Amino acid sequence: MIEKGKISAAQMGMMMYPTIIATAILLVPAITARHAKQDMWLSPLWASLIGFLTVYITVRLHELYPEKTIIEYSEDILGKFLGKVIGLIFLFYYLYANGIIIREYGEFVVGNFLFYTPLVVVMGSMVLACSFAVRNGVEVIGRLAQMIVPIVIILIVINIILLIPDMEVANMFPIMEKGIMPSLKGSIIPQGWFSEFLLIAFLLPYVADRNKGKRWGMISVAAVMLTLSLVNIAVLFVLGGITDRFTYPAFSAVRYISIADFLEHIEAIVMALWVAGIFMKVAVFYYALVLGTAQWMNLEDYRPIIFPMGFLILLFAVWSAPSLMELTHYLGSTSPFYRISIQVGIPLLLLFVAKWRKRANNQKLTQQG
Amino acid sequence: MFFFKQSKKKKQMAKNQKKQNQNQIQSQNQQQQAFLSTDLDQNLQELQNIYKNCMDVVFRQFQIGGKTKAALIYIDGLANIEEIDAGVLTPLMKENHAKENTDQFIHVNDILEQKLTVSKVKRVQTTTECIEQISGGNPVLLIDQQSEGFALGLSNPEKRSIEEPGGESVVRGPREGFTESLGTNLSLLRRKIRSPQLKAKSIKIGEYTQTEVVISYIEGIAEQTLIQEVEARLNRIKLDGILETSYIEELIEDNPYSPFPQILNTERPDVVAASLLEGRVAILQDGTPFVLVVPVSFYSLLQSSEDYYERSLISTATRWLRYAFLLVSLLLPSLYVAILTFHQEMLPTTLLVTIAASREQIPFPALVEALLMEIVFEALREAGLRLPRQAGAAVSIVGALVIGQAAIQAGLASAPLIMVVALTGIASFTIPRYTAGIALRMLRFPMIFLAGTLGLLGIMLGLLMIVTHMATLRSFGVPYLSPMAPMQGREIKDVLMRAPWWKFNTRPRLTGDHKNIQRQGPNQKPGPDYGDDKTSKDQGGS
Repeated sequence: MIEKGKISAAQMGMMMYPTIIATAILLVPAITARHAKQDMWLSPLWASLIGFLTVYITVRLHELYPEKTIIEYSEDILGKFLGKVIGLIFLFYYLYANGIIIREYGEFVVGNFLFYTPLVVVMGSMVLACSFAVRNGVEVIGRLAQMIVPIVIILIVINIILLIPDMEVANMFPIMEKGIMPSLKGSIIPQGWFSEFLLIAFLLPYVADRNKGKRWGMISVAAVMLTLSLVNIAVLFVLGGITDRFTYPAFSAVRYISIADFLEHIEAIVMALWVAGIFMKVAVFYYALVLGTAQWMNLEDYRPIIFPMGFLILLFAVWSAPSLMELTHYLGSTSPFYRISIQVGIPLLLLFVAKWRKRANNQKLTQQG
Repeated sequence: MFFFKQSKKKKQMAKNQKKQNQNQIQSQNQQQQAFLSTDLDQNLQELQNIYKNCMDVVFRQFQIGGKTKAALIYIDGLANIEEIDAGVLTPLMKENHAKENTDQFIHVNDILEQKLTVSKVKRVQTTTECIEQISGGNPVLLIDQQSEGFALGLSNPEKRSIEEPGGESVVRGPREGFTESLGTNLSLLRRKIRSPQLKAKSIKIGEYTQTEVVISYIEGIAEQTLIQEVEARLNRIKLDGILETSYIEELIEDNPYSPFPQILNTERPDVVAASLLEGRVAILQDGTPFVLVVPVSFYSLLQSSEDYYERSLISTATRWLRYAFLLVSLLLPSLYVAILTFHQEMLPTTLLVTIAASREQIPFPALVEALLMEIVFEALREAGLRLPRQAGAAVSIVGALVIGQAAIQAGLASAPLIMVVALTGIASFTIPRYTAGIALRMLRFPMIFLAGTLGLLGIMLGLLMIVTHMATLRSFGVPYLSPMAPMQGREIKDVLMRAPWWKFNTRPRLTGDHKNIQRQGPNQKPGPDYGDDKTSKDQGGS
């Protein structure tokens, strides 16, 4: 095996939490609000179903091929050629997704805090920092998650508590004015984020306590769902009907924090701590990409391709969209279908084929016996 | 081309010479392995050859009972001369052998049992052993017609008395510290842990210094794999000499290029004893009061022994104070730079106005200003350590002027920055372990640079890199950030708080299979006993 490190199931769960949250609290509330209006807090609940489904599919596949990642077992399931094609699709997808994450992060930082810093410098420094973590393998990323996740959770909770004076509960009503449809529509975009739980297909082979993998995957999905709902509620209470006019509603809400004329304008600190979350997200995606590529090309070690891949990610981040407007439009329109079809559709197909082949094999065996 | 060839030749010659030297050393070793002969003169000749040009080695030749030739060899100053006179020379020389025993030869055992009034005697058979004992300070007694000598345990090297260690003082707790003498240090440990399970294995390190190094652990608590690993790493050391345990530390560390210490060094016997009781291994060395303890985690470097002597709530508060100031010592100057350069809106308006007013006269950007003053502070600290004591007062006066009013009046630094520098300095000294504190102090310089170029984002990226680096470190197999990452639920109570003693029921998990984990009896939480408490007031009154 290329990766020799081992993580615990709890570490895997903790790695996935910021991996979903970090960018989901950035752009998603606005996009959700556009469709769901005051029911936006319900949308993560519906969207999380996709998350649970993804974890379920991945765990079932993992049970069939416990030592392998999705890049390896897709070859076992579909044969050498088709498997390689599927692997290539995944790798390309992760390269592209990674570029988009970096771009989202860069646009956000440059647009709100470092107005005069070139976008490439902001994005490049993050890729560099992440490559440093990826170099040290899954064990270190797992440990980093355990250091960072408590900080991210505390950050979210403290911000919500500090926003209580500005909250207006009436913004929530009427609940489900136009039935369940708006919130369902609003859930399509977050579904794309929840489908990212496919990443555990790259982590499960290195989990030491295997039987707990499913449990921690589900816990992680539930935690993400709760957090997104909570953030959406808080944003809705503070901003009300105009939520969809902001690009980054959660951060715009943070600007409202003002306690005793002293504790105000803390958005820079919030950004700095949020960067820790983004760091985790990029590190996990980056790791999956590098590990998958090494396995796809049958390399003995993934370390030599880390820096070239990092450079490629940076390029993809630059190429992925001409402007923030285009990026938001893409994320709000076509991206969920693209993401769900790759991250849920293909694994589902793999699972069906694997099951079918196994049954066929069994029948053959019984016929022979 | 020609030149190259020549240099190659030279290299080869040097290689050959090296080989010859090695051969010589080997042959010397073989010679010294030789057993003592029965001829005293020959033995003496051999030892005198080895100790040629060593004027501090004394060869005292005398006759036992006026008959048998004998010689006492010792190093002047290392051996206790008074005891040699009283316990060896007097009884042996005054012995009137002829009267009692007509036998020509004296029996070695007779001398040992009847004449030598010395408690510690060891028989030596080879020249090597002789040299070892003599150099260690023990006089060696050689007797004619005997193929073995006696090493007498009369060494008495100069010693310092036991004092309170300067680097790790406490308000409450034992005030004794290790000294330069290995024997004293081991006795200090043994006085704390009396169980025979406390082991002390000795090895010699250093081709020329022949320094005695002792691995100490408690059998049954320390994992066997850990002890073996420590021994293996120590045995790998091949140096001319070691003068301080830091030599060993550098040679057995997991990651020598890290700024963070991965081995604890301490002068306090109580710290070592507590570590041994947790299943760690101590490495003591003759000639230095600093004892190494392995393995350690980052958090144990942030703990003072006094945490365990104070009340648990107070210690918990102290620990959190320390964590906060750890961040201050690492981040405060860079936060100052980042906020003044990129995020002015974070400051309340009044404060911002004050700072802006005081910075009006300063010709430098915040980055340069902060770097300058931090470097000056580090220089003053270093000078304060190295200067002779008489000049210390001068440094502190000049220092107060340099980092203080004069700097502000000269328009080189602003008053808020002076505050920041002073606070950072104080904060770095709240970390109980000097080596850990200095690592963080040095890391704040790259952080200032990052803050000056990327603001808070740069600080965060720098912090993430530092944490990533720390997550990769291991100290003898134990992850550096444990028990936080990887998380170990049972031990967090010694990091996020200092739990009361009755909560520490298990030993920390270090390496190996962690079998013998029960540390103390359960349910030791004290509380009023309403049952048959004879001392309670109610019953006393009746």
